[in-house]
Amino acid sequence: MSSRDLVLMTAPLREDFTIPCHEIGPAAGNPAVSFVSGLHGDEINGIYILARLADFLTAVEEGAYPKLRLAQRVLIIPAVNVLGANTLRRAWPFDQSDQNRMFPGNQMGETTQRIAYTVLEATKKSAYRVDLHGSNLYFEELPQVRLYDPTPEERETARLFGLPAIMERSVSPVFTTTLMYSWKYWPGQSFLLQVGQAGSIQLPHCQQVFRGLVAFLGRIGVLEGVEVAEADQEALYFTRECSVRIYADRAGMFVSDKTLGGWVSKGQELGYIYDSFNGAVRTRVTAPAAGLLTGIRRQPMLFEGDLLVRICTR
Amino acid sequence: MPESSLSITTSCILSLEMPYSERLCIRRTVYRGGNGPRVAIVAGIHGDELEGLYVCQLLADWLERMARENPAGLTGTVELYPAMNPLGLDTLTRAIPVFDTDLNRNFPGSPSGDLPKRIAHAAIGNLSGAALVIDIHASNIYLREIPQVRINTDFADRLVPLAQRLNLDLIWLHGAMTVLEATVAHSLNSVGTPCLVVEMGVGMRITPDYCRQLMTGILTLWKDLGVLAPDVELPSLNHLPLIADDSNVHYLNAPTSGLFVPVIEHWTDVRKGQLLGNIVSPLQGGILAEVRSPVDGILFTLREYPLVYEGSLMARVMARKGRLA
Ligand SMILES: [Zn+2]
Ligand SMILES: [Zn+2]
Repeated sequence: MSSRDLVLMTAPLREDFTIPCHEIGPAAGNPAVSFVSGLHGDEINGIYILARLADFLTAVEEGAYPKLRLAQRVLIIPAVNVLGANTLRRAWPFDQSDQNRMFPGNQMGETTQRIAYTVLEATKKSAYRVDLHGSNLYFEELPQVRLYDPTPEERETARLFGLPAIMERSVSPVFTTTLMYSWKYWPGQSFLLQVGQAGSIQLPHCQQVFRGLVAFLGRIGVLEGVEVAEADQEALYFTRECSVRIYADRAGMFVSDKTLGGWVSKGQELGYIYDSFNGAVRTRVTAPAAGLLTGIRRQPMLFEGDLLVRICTR
Repeated sequence: MPESSLSITTSCILSLEMPYSERLCIRRTVYRGGNGPRVAIVAGIHGDELEGLYVCQLLADWLERMARENPAGLTGTVELYPAMNPLGLDTLTRAIPVFDTDLNRNFPGSPSGDLPKRIAHAAIGNLSGAALVIDIHASNIYLREIPQVRINTDFADRLVPLAQRLNLDLIWLHGAMTVLEATVAHSLNSVGTPCLVVEMGVGMRITPDYCRQLMTGILTLWKDLGVLAPDVELPSLNHLPLIADDSNVHYLNAPTSGLFVPVIEHWTDVRKGQLLGNIVSPLQGGILAEVRSPVDGILFTLREYPLVYEGSLMARVMARKGRLA
């Protein structure tokens, strides 16, 4: 059996509640790599990617790919917020708390603190820890590695995912209660992947990240026999300074036909803000600088000041 | 002597276009009397907390009667901000709807950010420099709280003497936590504007007795500060706060899931081992777990929303450690 229950607790009115996980590969010591997603129950891309990764690695273990071999153990938790995944809620549905604001958790504390404690215990001793997120219901993110006050080693390793962008951020006060932040206290490297948009699956993003995770496992030597193309696309490294953000100067309805991952030129038209009552164009949104389109607003109903587009400049 | 007057004005501190047709407006009412100190009451930061709205109404009613009967009694300025999160109040949502963010994790905000940041920025801009700000919260829909002030130990020296005059039952001192740095109270206290955080009652309800109790304390503090004239007559304080901190507060988290049914009244003395309630299952008879007090003390937090998961907080008991001298 490659799956077990990480958390097992009673529920008030249903079956007992579990958070299942996959443990695949040689059963010695701590898992070399831990993958976590679904801390937010509506971020389905990550759940899908990790469920598919578990299927693939299980097939490797069962000999379906004779050239491939798992040299070390991998832990996969496709969804931490199980009740949220089943009810399409971002937060822990019972008390509306954000599971990713409960770390490092507490064995004797609130339900979500207990879950946080268990997830951290299971993953913190891995040499590599990866937390997948899917933005939110409003904003689509080009698949990217997010680094928060990284070490030099993490900066280097981030390139091994082969994703189109690596973005570096500094730590905000609210961030101190996240899984990523709690991981930082332990030896090893931690990465957050942002993939697409919550609420649905964007298949091209998922396929890209799935290939990226397999390549990553190959490059760090956990999955032996992976052929990684020499000319794998070079990741672009962006600090906060090379991000250009466009904010809504008016409320209304934002409509754009642009897809992420393309290069835009300065002045290029990116979309329109319409008056959502009378339909008049309020703002023609154009690129203030040339760069890579890495994020775009998909939920159209705007308040003034909402983020519309993020462009990363070279 | 110039004839004294008391002016009352209501205005928007922030007005913002909404996606479809409407405008969002954060409203306040200002009572201006003499040139004395300026004080403010903030409520409705969490859209599911209504106790503070009623306190604002009681104060507005009191101030309007002053305007009619004794306008010289207001020697300073009072600002009431009853609904800092009007969209949350409109939609029965604790957070700011759409943005799904806790307004009280967005301070000090920014003038050009998204809606939560703009509300926070407008609030700080208007509240900074006040002689005293009181931010009123009403717990949440799960837990009922006795009237209390919560104070970050970083600011205890300045705030505890004020809090002792607020006619509440408890002062709870807590250590500095980075996550709380983004609250309105922390932002104001950091820039030297004293801000007291009151927690009382329960979400989505009002507890009129608590509201009147707090009102007496607020008026007393205002008089202490010179916002009200010395000859304004007020009801006397009838509550003295106990002191709580990490050393004497005991948390009772549910050992199993089910329906928590209390067998004891909120805010009563309890003995070690005394039964506080039972966890039962709607699917079967009998009792799943008994909930007993871990210490001699006072039951000051009691679960109002009966369904519990393993770990849900059901009660807090405070061992007595006396009052501040
Ligand atoms: Zn997320
Ligand atoms: Zn509150």
